[in-house]
Amino acid sequence: MPEVFIDGKRYEFEGKPKLLQFILDQGLEVPFFCYHPSMSIPANCRQCMVKVGTPIADKDTGEYELDENGERKIRWFPKFQTSCSTTVSDGMVVHTQESSEEVARAQKDTLEFILINHPLDCPICDQAGECPLQIQTYKYGPEGSRFEVKKVHKPKRVQLGERVTLDAERCINCTRCVRFTEEISETNQLTIVSRGDKNYPMTAPGEEFDDPYSMNTVDICPVGALTSTDFRFKARVWEMNQTPSIDITNGKGCNVDLWTRDNLVLRITPRQNEDVNDYWMPDEGRDAYQQFNENRVSRPSIKLDGDNQSNTSWNNAIETFAEVLEAHEADNLAVIGSPHASVEENYAFNKFFNLLGAANAKFTPHVIPGYGDDFLITDDQAPNANGCRLINLDESEADGIKAAIQNAEVVIILSDDLIGRDVFSAEDLDDKYIISLATNQTPTVEASDLVIPITCIAEHAASYINVDGRIQRSYPAKETKYTNRRLNLEMSEGRLDRYGTNFDNWVSEENKVDCLPVWEFLNHLGDRLGLAYQQDHSRTIFAELSNQFPALEEITYERMDEEQGVQLPIEQQEVTQA
Amino acid sequence: MAEDWRSYEPLLIPDIPNLHEIDVYEENGGYQALRNILDNREGKWTRNNVTNEVKAANIRGRGGAGFNAGLKWSFMPDPDDRPRYLACNGDESEPGTFKDRNIFEFNPHLFIEGALIAAYAMTIDTIYVYIRGEYIDWVNIFEEAVEEAYEKGYLGNDILGSGIDIDLHTTYGAGAYICGEETGMLESLEGKRGYPRIKPPFPAQKGLWGNPTTINNIETLANVPLVINNGAEWYQSIGAEGHNGPVLYGISGHVNKPGVYEYPAGMPVMDLINEVAGGIRGGKDLKALIPGGTSTPVLRADQLEGVSMDSNSLREAGSMMGTAGMVVMDEDTDMVDLLWRISHFFHHESCGQCTPCREGTGWLEKVLLKIKNGDGEIKDLDMLLDLTTQMEGRTICALADAAAWPVRHTINRFRDEFEARCKKSVHAVA
Repeated sequence: MPEVFIDGKRYEFEGKPKLLQFILDQGLEVPFFCYHPSMSIPANCRQCMVKVGTPIADKDTGEYELDENGERKIRWFPKFQTSCSTTVSDGMVVHTQESSEEVARAQKDTLEFILINHPLDCPICDQAGECPLQIQTYKYGPEGSRFEVKKVHKPKRVQLGERVTLDAERCINCTRCVRFTEEISETNQLTIVSRGDKNYPMTAPGEEFDDPYSMNTVDICPVGALTSTDFRFKARVWEMNQTPSIDITNGKGCNVDLWTRDNLVLRITPRQNEDVNDYWMPDEGRDAYQQFNENRVSRPSIKLDGDNQSNTSWNNAIETFAEVLEAHEADNLAVIGSPHASVEENYAFNKFFNLLGAANAKFTPHVIPGYGDDFLITDDQAPNANGCRLINLDESEADGIKAAIQNAEVVIILSDDLIGRDVFSAEDLDDKYIISLATNQTPTVEASDLVIPITCIAEHAASYINVDGRIQRSYPAKETKYTNRRLNLEMSEGRLDRYGTNFDNWVSEENKVDCLPVWEFLNHLGDRLGLAYQQDHSRTIFAELSNQFPALEEITYERMDEEQGVQLPIEQQEVTQA
Repeated sequence: MAEDWRSYEPLLIPDIPNLHEIDVYEENGGYQALRNILDNREGKWTRNNVTNEVKAANIRGRGGAGFNAGLKWSFMPDPDDRPRYLACNGDESEPGTFKDRNIFEFNPHLFIEGALIAAYAMTIDTIYVYIRGEYIDWVNIFEEAVEEAYEKGYLGNDILGSGIDIDLHTTYGAGAYICGEETGMLESLEGKRGYPRIKPPFPAQKGLWGNPTTINNIETLANVPLVINNGAEWYQSIGAEGHNGPVLYGISGHVNKPGVYEYPAGMPVMDLINEVAGGIRGGKDLKALIPGGTSTPVLRADQLEGVSMDSNSLREAGSMMGTAGMVVMDEDTDMVDLLWRISHFFHHESCGQCTPCREGTGWLEKVLLKIKNGDGEIKDLDMLLDLTTQMEGRTICALADAAAWPVRHTINRFRDEFEARCKKSVHAVA
């Protein structure tokens, strides 16, 4: 196996890896800015310079020449090499900043240059705390600056598009954003304008940066030059908790992180998963954070007189629900599951009504033909149509759902705005008793006689099966009225949880939604009805699912965590129009 | 050669009226080298033989790097199904360099003939000529010559009945020095920002649009027909050891007769200044010389004794041949002013791709401006020298080197002058 020596240690390698990536893969470090593993290598920041040599081999025999000590003779490259663009070769000897003073000095020199025209406004910069320039300057940079002349001034607060704001003075010209629009989103909307120390990224004159993936440039910007217009100045990185989750705005299930503070989700960023979304996600998925905070259904509500809903107690909601169920035959119930809800929610929901004697819940996929692209946006608008299929919910087209409610006296809808997406209209529900289990206020919820608030993906652990048949799961990221961050072991711990005082964490009660996971609510309802129904937790529900459905055999939350989701052996289905 | 330069007859731009017209060029033996090659392409002048002859002549690249042109040609991979290109670099834009302009104006067909021979030798059917945008008048002149060559069948399909097709496209820049860097020029030719490329891969492997490409300077290619007509041995007999052939010396600055003069390589520097260019203006003393464009290190008058204009002699003296664009400075020259102006140029022209160049060129200029304005301190000089080592050899292309060298060498060679401009130390010095 070919070998390479990095800082005196021997490593074996295969193929033709690039030196920087190889070093990073070994868990070692060399500072860099412009390199990105999913894009072309421009080697323009010049930060990852290392000293590289190759052994001198005899031309005829191929044997390495040895010096008087029996060590291989090394021919050093006359200049430092950018490790990002250097291909590792057999016998190569590399000195990084760890073992070479000159390399450390060269890297410091480059950082000094990068910083001379950088505004050094970290205290008011959104990137601070997660800024490669800040981090690497502390680690590898000079202690002060010898720059005593005037910095270059460039445009600030430029609205490149609806979502992205540019501060050109902070830009270090790594061209990651430009390469992103060239190579990943392929819109070619950004380019570098002007020359030398005056250059910065910009759109063509009069053009807006409306790339549907524009905010990925904010993520990959190694400084605070490109910031999210929406998230700007809202929160410090170290004040937030970062919780892994799944994008629920379409069928791809991009892996994301939810960033929460004081039980509000403040932003959503992509989480790397090379089998799903690599480092990227569509802008639409990021906007979804608002639906976790705003317009939520909190406390049950009930329609007492005419069209006016009013809040009611959980006891009254359970009692009312139970009385409605007792007053109607199971045949007269229309039970509708949801591709917008998780596998566990649909299963718990369906199982409950099965116990009452109802047939399997119906569901209708939420698909807009032609909406998707060939990248991360899908025609499917829901995260879990395949999950509904897998647990044998009754898939119907819109007409099937319509027919089902026409023949029913009671319609029970799980988390799906069927009116809003035109499956049926509010008039179709006249004379029916409508019960919605919902996360957010929607036309469907408004048309309901009884509304049960349930947890959203940011508040529970649950799994979703994407359009490609990959099962992935969420974690609770924010508390509800009935959960507690410190008691819930599934919740992530932020810096302030770990190191802060009681006063550092926000605890506004108003940010906690008064809702329950579907299964917990159904436990209460089951108790009232005397049903043998008990579902403790999504984890135990999933264990039950895994026993029941062969496709989920040997799949556990632990495995999904370790493998970043698991590809299921299920057949691709043609998406049908809702 | 030393003394016989006075009897030298120009070869690249001979003193023949209207030589830029194709008829006149033909009457004076023009396109004979090409005809000769095409007629004997099964015999003496196979593609390989042409390359080998040019390689043996050792035409040192006239764009500044001085690399053997024929050797460069031999780096082209064997033809495959990919297109192959010859890109001719006429973007000369370094201050002090203005020689290719004279070829476009006075002997464009010699260059076209050379480019055609190069294209033949490397099995290339497309030639691009990239001319600096400021030369728009010369672009027009050159394009007329190209048109004539097409009309006469030297360009286009089935050249002189040989069955060989070669096209030549002229294009011009928009004023960026960096587009004269060979890979920056390729980017510009492709219609992109003139960002130099990382090497490897070298243009011969992946050049224009990813295809095998050779890049030659205009003057370099103009030497090719001479080699073919007279042989490598003859060519080797002109000029200095290791640096042969005729050279267009572009002499500017404080001389009585600035201009482009053609003489053999290896001309005694003092002869060029005092005799060819008519001596220093106003009878002043020579103070300094930039021998080959502003990126080449400046030499003090006392360093010029016995120095000749060839790469070996200039290297020994502590500079470089570059493009032979000589900037002559008399005793009144303010070296601080000069260096600031040079640094201003490189700051203005840095493409901004690599950190050390983008930031370093600006820093150098700003500190030099401070010194020029009398606000500098002695420590600034040492810092400038430090910055030059932080820039040199740390970037994709050589612009950072080109910006760093003049600063290093001008300060080192005229340190007194720089110190005199700096503020006196506020501390008493023992």
